[in-house]
Amino acid sequence: MRKTILVLIPAILSQAAGNVFLSMRMKEIGNSHWLTLFPRALESPTLWLGTALLIVSFVLFAAALSWADLSFVVPAVSMEVVVNVVFASYFLQEVVSLTRWTGVLFISIGVILVLRSERQKGQRAREEILRSGQR
Amino acid sequence: MKTAVLIALIVLADSAGDVFLTRGMKQVGEIRTLNPRLLLSIGRRVISNKSFLSGIFFMAITFFSFLVVLSWADLSLVFPAKSLVYVTSTLGAKWALKETISSQRWGGIFLVCLGVALISLP
Repeated sequence: MRKTILVLIPAILSQAAGNVFLSMRMKEIGNSHWLTLFPRALESPTLWLGTALLIVSFVLFAAALSWADLSFVVPAVSMEVVVNVVFASYFLQEVVSLTRWTGVLFISIGVILVLRSERQKGQRAREEILRSGQR
Repeated sequence: MKTAVLIALIVLADSAGDVFLTRGMKQVGEIRTLNPRLLLSIGRRVISNKSFLSGIFFMAITFFSFLVVLSWADLSLVFPAKSLVYVTSTLGAKWALKETISSQRWGGIFLVCLGVALISLP
């Protein structure tokens, strides 16, 4: 479980940072025709940096799936929504409504429950090994 | 109606993507090394794994149907609806990957789903 968390924390942070960079660049361009949007977006290193961070995040996510449960990794990664809201409010100075902060609270409690369920699962597995050893 | 069908497609394709990705990575096996040369050969095995590639295929379907539905529907409707993915992916993990999911974990997942929906409300 420790190894999973060690891999998922940088995955979550680089995903959130990637989104901040993408959003920064797209806001810089503002409203232009969709045909000119992509070529213009690609001109800036900010967009490439954002994309690179998203790729790093995906690789770490896939790596965690090579050993951890999908039903643990998916809700754990939802912490990225919380980090995204915090980053948007802090780095992009977006105004975050009370409803959104309530959502942040719900996700955080949900992730704590999922973390606890994973710890209990690990304990149960260890007890099982001990019991089969005694037999 | 068109919107509902596309949202259902997005949710199902996203979960299928998660399940196939997990199956592919489990077939490749636990990554236990940080040695660059070994990591490179693991990477090569990952991108030639059929389940992993199916996962990427489903993720592409998710992404493009998301873009399509956004061309007429509001993000504030589509995004909360998309949070159902947390539940469907967990069902996929239970049925297709045979993971055991405790009631505590289910409770956490429902809270996450609700929280994501709340955040995406306008």
